Amino acid sequence: MTPAAPEISRAPRWLHLLLSDYFSLILTVLLVAIFAPFTPGLLSRANLLNIFSYLLPLLIVAIGLTLVMITGGIDLSVTAIVAVASVVGGSLMTAGHQPAFIGVATMLLVGLLIGAANGAMITALHLPAFIVTLASMMFVSGFAVWFTQSRNIDQLPPAFLQIGQTLLISTAVTATLALVVRFLLQKTVYGRWLYATGQNPVTARVSGVPVRSMTFAAYVASGFCAALASVIMTGRLETASPVLGREMLLDVIGATVIGGISLFGGKGKIAWTFFGVPFLVALDNVLNLLNLSQFAITITKGSGILLAATLDALRTRFGFRQS
Amino acid sequence: MKPILSLLSLACVLVGCGKPAGSSTEAAPSTSPRPLTVGVAFETLQTEYWVAGFEAIKAELKKRNIAMLEAVSDSDASRQLQQIKTFISRGVDGIVLVPKDAKTCIPMIRAANEAKIPIVLFNRPSAPSDTQSTAVVADNRQLTRDTVTYMLEQAKKIPGKHKAMVVLGDLGDINAIGRRDGFEDAVKGNESIIDVVARVPSEWNQEKTQAGVANALQANPDIDFIFTSSDFLFPSITSALKAADRYKRIGEPGHVILGGFDGDATAYRMLTDGYLDATGVQDVYFEAEASIQALLDRREGKAVGDLILDSGFVIHQGNLKEMAARMWGANIKKSP
Repeated sequence: MTPAAPEISRAPRWLHLLLSDYFSLILTVLLVAIFAPFTPGLLSRANLLNIFSYLLPLLIVAIGLTLVMITGGIDLSVTAIVAVASVVGGSLMTAGHQPAFIGVATMLLVGLLIGAANGAMITALHLPAFIVTLASMMFVSGFAVWFTQSRNIDQLPPAFLQIGQTLLISTAVTATLALVVRFLLQKTVYGRWLYATGQNPVTARVSGVPVRSMTFAAYVASGFCAALASVIMTGRLETASPVLGREMLLDVIGATVIGGISLFGGKGKIAWTFFGVPFLVALDNVLNLLNLSQFAITITKGSGILLAATLDALRTRFGFRQS
Repeated sequence: MKPILSLLSLACVLVGCGKPAGSSTEAAPSTSPRPLTVGVAFETLQTEYWVAGFEAIKAELKKRNIAMLEAVSDSDASRQLQQIKTFISRGVDGIVLVPKDAKTCIPMIRAANEAKIPIVLFNRPSAPSDTQSTAVVADNRQLTRDTVTYMLEQAKKIPGKHKAMVVLGDLGDINAIGRRDGFEDAVKGNESIIDVVARVPSEWNQEKTQAGVANALQANPDIDFIFTSSDFLFPSITSALKAADRYKRIGEPGHVILGGFDGDATAYRMLTDGYLDATGVQDVYFEAEASIQALLDRREGKAVGDLILDSGFVIHQGNLKEMAARMWGANIKKSP
């Protein structure tokens, strides 16, 4: 990073802004400020609460994905974990007549186990994360459909529904998770090991970093986060569904990249994820409020993600950001 | 400042382009104190039927000088809930919803009920619950029964016992269940002329259908009667039939009696080309009109039932010229 310092100091101020840690946050504020006069209801309390409750589960999944991406990996199975945790927990609480806390514990356990399976295959068999998690996504989502025979599960216990439907509870869950992960990343040796694993695994291993354990742990954490998001999403929709969250993968990866988490590994902060997710959700909301067609919304979001990936490449090239 | 100015310019362009296509507030008569606005939320626009339904609703709202807000959730129930709440926060006067399924829509209906905004479900009803809504749906069971009964009449004209295949929809979809039950109703009591040898699950997926139909034709090469739960699966079915050299016109030796449901453009083309015997047509125009009328009636506090049935009609070689104008798939074909 040191050799890039002279380039940074000579760069124009707008480039500093464009490539700074707070770029996606500034972009979100600008987006809202620019479009608020043209989009009735954008800043209404109901709409802001609506956006907020929608982004919480996305944030939770994105936090797990952030850990994986810091190691230089990717987890495509998160949406399948959301679905399978939903139907396994839902089935236990309805057909199995188990109380809500057993249902939640089982859902989290399902996420941990699938994350552990992903991590084990990637570290022990040295298979590419993309292939392992893609195969895992197909297997797990197929299992969810087979397990329920495509049927949704309703009549979930009210105590369970409260977790997803009470904004205070879901906010507290998300905030606690974010704070714990932030502490681990920034204040403990485990965080430094995780960054070292992503920056250069060979150097990290030579330096005594338990690279395989850190990679394994990142996938376990990602599975746990996906299952936690599933608890909130299932509660919000009052239904356990074998296709729950199937369409959210693009949003989660896009939001993480927009926030600035590097696709190349070794860089990323929980704060960046917290800036990226609201940007993508706010963009979606603004485009909806402008009554653009779905085709225009998808094209615009895709362009935003592409732009963010380009910026990420620029940051890496100029060495602007530090982890 | 340059990037900010550029962003502002982009915003202006976006807002300019983003004038709501269906937001026909300017079309409202000047005498009206406030034009009504209806939010239309579709689960998907990925098949011809849903596009036709969306366009029919848009046209119906325009005809009544009602502004429209639109949202498509791309099969994501969580996003659809957010979209419905966005409609509510914008203070729409009514909501037309095509839900992903019968159960995940219940919190959406509840949110609309709490905001005292009338809500109508287009073509897909919700599961029983404590919420208030009206569903406008095709009478899937009756229309399928009528279509298959017509097909059986054609089969009776050909001597011998026939072997049948039914292509089932996604049985998580209540419409697919209705069509399956309608098929079973029709064949019940006709066992002397028909033997159902294959029930192919499609899960509304073209690839699964193609593989399932090909496998069934391989296991039972003498199948000569196929009913599909949706016309949009015909490309897969005809592909499998062609591979088995079984795709023949009506009257040609080896013709497989074909029937479907929906009334899309492919079915219309197959009817006019003489390959398709019959299909049950959902009357999209009736469903759109009934949905908006139910919404307005609910808004005015009039009594509206929970369910409005579209009886649809069976179109076949005998009434094709007479009924084509009411078949939505025929109208798609005419459009540029």
